[in-house]
Parts: sequence; C-alpha cells; structure tokens
Amino acid sequence: MGIIARKHAVREQGASVREQLRAMDDSGVVTAFLGGEERAFSELVDRYQTRLLNFIYRTIGDREKAEDLVQEVFIRVYRHLHRFDRSKKFSTWAYTIASNLAKNELRNRSRNPLVLFQTVQKNWQEDDRPLQFEDSTSRPDDMYRKRHLREIVEESVAKLPEHHRNVFILRELEGKSYEEIAEITDCNLGTVKSRLNRARNSFAEIVAPYMD
Amino acid sequence: MDCREFLDQHLCFVDDTLPGVELVRMQMHLTECEECARHDATIRRSLMLFRNLPRIEPSPDFSKRLEMRLREAKLADAAAASGGRSRKFAAAVTVTSAAMLTYIGISLRQVDTPQDIILPPVVAIATSDASSAGPAPEMIAAVSAGLPIWTAALFAEQTSAHFASIELASNAH
Repeated sequence: MGIIARKHAVREQGASVREQLRAMDDSGVVTAFLGGEERAFSELVDRYQTRLLNFIYRTIGDREKAEDLVQEVFIRVYRHLHRFDRSKKFSTWAYTIASNLAKNELRNRSRNPLVLFQTVQKNWQEDDRPLQFEDSTSRPDDMYRKRHLREIVEESVAKLPEHHRNVFILRELEGKSYEEIAEITDCNLGTVKSRLNRARNSFAEIVAPYMD
Repeated sequence: MDCREFLDQHLCFVDDTLPGVELVRMQMHLTECEECARHDATIRRSLMLFRNLPRIEPSPDFSKRLEMRLREAKLADAAAASGGRSRKFAAAVTVTSAAMLTYIGISLRQVDTPQDIILPPVVAIATSDASSAGPAPEMIAAVSAGLPIWTAALFAEQTSAHFASIELASNAH
C-alpha cells in the first residue's frame, strides 16, 4: 500500500514538473535543463519537433531525411546546450543548427546525383503527406484541382535557389523576423531582404499561371 | 510615388513594416497603377497558397527513435570521456617513464665516465742502511738453521718489499 502511494506521489510530482515546464518560456526551460532537470529537454523537443521538421522538409523535400535531420538537431542541442549563449533566443540557435544541417544535406546531394535521384523518386512514389488542401465535401474534380495545385506549389518552392528558398521558408512558413533570419543564415539584413524579395517574386511568377 | 519606388518597398509593404506615411503612399499608388496592383495581388495570393501548405507531423515512432539516438549519444560521450581520461593517464605514464629513463641514463653516464682519481703523492725514502738491501738477517738465520720452507717464504715476501722500496728510492734520486 505504501509503495503504491509513493508511486502515485512521484507520478503526481512528475506531472506538476511537466506543467511547470510547459508554462515556462524557452529560456526558463533551458535553465531548468542546465540545472539538471532532464524532463526539460523533452519539453524543448515537444515545442520544436514539428516546426523544425516542416522547416527542414520544405528545404530539402524529403520527409524521411528531414526526420533524421531533426533528430540530429536535438542531439546537437542536447550535447552543446551548456555552450549556448543564453543572452540569445533558443529558437534562433535551434533553427541555425537545422538550417546548417539542411544546407549540408543539399550540398551532399549535389555531389552525389544518385542520392538526389533516389530521393526525388521516393518523394513521387510515397505520397504519405496529409491531404489538407482537399476538403472531403468538395467535388472529385475540385479535389483533384486542389491537389494538383498543392503539388505545383511544392514544386515551385523546390525550384527556388537554395539560399532564396531558405530565407523564404523561414519568413513565410516559420514567421521569423528579418533580424532572426539574418542571424540564422549568417547574412546581413540587406541580403536577407533582397533574397526574400527575389524569392517572393520568383515564386509568384512560377505559381501565377496555375492560380486562376 | 513611381512604380520603381513601389516595387522597392513592396517587401516591407506586404510585411506591414512600413511607417504610416509610406504605407499611405503605397496604398495611394495601388489605386493609381493597375500593373502594380496586379503584382501586389499575385504576390499576396501566392504567399497565401504557400502558407496554407499542409504541415507535416513527426511520425509516431519519432520520439522513441530520438530517445534511442540520445541514449547512444550519451554512451558515446561517456566512452569518449573515459577514453580521454585513460589517454591522459597513458600520456602521464609515458612522460614519467621517459623522465625516469632519462634520469637513469644520465646517472649511469656519470658513473661510467672515467674520472682522474687524485691521490696524495707517494714519497719513498731510501734508507741509508746497507743491510736493508739484502735479505733480512732473520731469513739468513732461518735458512742456516734449517727452518721449514713456509717461514722462509714469509721472509721472502718481506725481502721483495725491501727491493721495491730500494728501487723507488733510487728513482726518486
């Protein structure tokens, strides 16, 4: 009876710690982790896994690889969090790691065309993405049109030059400020604005014929 | 405002980061220029399409795989740390051994090096007594008295010492 009560108390205590962590901002969670609270790391994973996955996926276009890279981001965060400059934003640091990993992945692919081909082929064969562009109440031809449009949009993003795409995704998908993007991509503010402007224009140019 | 200026500021216009006065000027230009209005609409619509792309979710086993990879990473770090410690220990042992060998080597060289041993000068003085140059009188006495040989040999030893002292004395002169 005593053991059960103790287990129950420990469980309750764990739940309250998790709630406290959830209420904290990133900086608080990082401090808790560095203070020895291992559960704080799970909180960081919960907060960033989906965001980082989408950012990397839209950058490299391969879901499976994107998941691997997100895991790599978290492993690096775990290993080097004690070196993180806490006067800066944790999210910017995490996105910087993710951006560098995605860039390396694209560089490796360009050196190995076979990998690129296999990846592209896999993307075309495995259609495991959620079909949120379609509405189940829509007519079949309308659903087809919307699905086709989604593919066009995805392809159009993929057609952007890498350094334009990176900035474009950070701004339009992740909602980062120009300053944050400059820090993540290690560029000055002027470069970020110019790249973003060009990326928007190029993207609109590619998609425009399919929008009407 | 002309079209060039409008396009230059369009990025900030879309992101709502323009100061109020500039914003009003941009909106005014939109009502006046059909081409710029079309450009603005195209950009905004295309961005809306992109922003509405479906978000993907991590696969169900994502957390489990991450946990496993983290565990592996922790083990690797621990192994690297202990490897680092043993490497440091091995390096310390090597350095100590080298120092000891060097010390022993230097010590041995010092022992092996032939050094001039300085001894006090030997001074031999030849006695003026002539009888000391010949056999001792005891020996003569023993021989004539028929003493055993061993005693005679004992005397003979003493005799050679006498010869040596006489030679040294003559050299000194």
